[in-house]
Amino acid sequence: MFQVIGGRSVQAARVFAPRSAVLVEAVRGRKSRTDPVAKSKVGRIKVPSPVDPVEMVVLKERYGEYQMIMRALRLEFKEEMLRKRYEEDTGSLAEERARQEAEEHRILMDFNHQENQRMLKLRVLRVQQEKEEADCKKLEVILQREQEQQEIVKEKEKEILKLQEDAKNFITMENLDQRIEEALDNPKNYNFAIDKQGKVVKQTVLQ
Amino acid sequence: MVHLSSLLLKKYHGGYVVIRFALAGHKQANRPFYRIVAAYNKRARDGKYLEQLGSYDPLPNINNEKLVSLNFDRIKYWVGCGAHTTKPVAKLLGLAGFFPLHPMTITESERHRARAELTVTGTEDGLREGQKDAEV
Repeated sequence: MFQVIGGRSVQAARVFAPRSAVLVEAVRGRKSRTDPVAKSKVGRIKVPSPVDPVEMVVLKERYGEYQMIMRALRLEFKEEMLRKRYEEDTGSLAEERARQEAEEHRILMDFNHQENQRMLKLRVLRVQQEKEEADCKKLEVILQREQEQQEIVKEKEKEILKLQEDAKNFITMENLDQRIEEALDNPKNYNFAIDKQGKVVKQTVLQ
Repeated sequence: MVHLSSLLLKKYHGGYVVIRFALAGHKQANRPFYRIVAAYNKRARDGKYLEQLGSYDPLPNINNEKLVSLNFDRIKYWVGCGAHTTKPVAKLLGLAGFFPLHPMTITESERHRARAELTVTGTEDGLREGQKDAEV
């Protein structure tokens, strides 16, 4: 029933996945030559179907004609296909189509060019405006910085003036003696309290 | 001729294209319907085909006609590309007139006619013998 596959096999159906190293196939026919014949077929002699020689001659003639006509038909169809192909590729219609396509292409390219030009103009304007705005902003920033610097300078000058005014009351080496004497002559009393309203109170306990 | 089909098709070593019947999968018992199909020789009968070229309904309809459809343009293309046809497809196309009549169709019809004549003459002889017996 099962045969081992050697080289080629015409009608094989792989029944099982080949787990073993050898490929096993199921071939047409259930029984092998060693299996016994069935009871109903014991005395059977297989005879080929009878052939009428006259009919066979006529049939062979007809087959010859048929095959010749078929061959001719095939070549004809092939030629027709090739001709159609050729017509499509390099026929009169093909030229017109190519021309029309070229026209369309040209028109579209022109349109594209126009669009590009328009966009270019807009872009140039826009870029110019942006540049002007950026310049303005830069100028403003510079002005502001200068102003700030000037204010700083003014403040510094104020401080200097204040210092100069305070410097008049400083104690130097020349004023030292004079100041000491002044301080000793005028004893200052810092013992005072201050009210919530701001009234100074020098005496607390009534004496 | 350059093989005009797409390059995505599988390459079969020594395979060729056939025009044959494939059962259309209607999944109804005792109601077949065939598609006339161009497929590679190695493919399963109902498997993936290259192109459908028509259909054939083997059971006769209400008006006792068996309907067949054929796409002659594409059949021409495939035959020009070198496709073979199976016997039933060749016979069908012969009857349709697209191909020459298949020799077996002619011989089958001759055999059928011979058998019909035999039965007619057989009944005539039988009738004549019956009449002779009656006379005698």
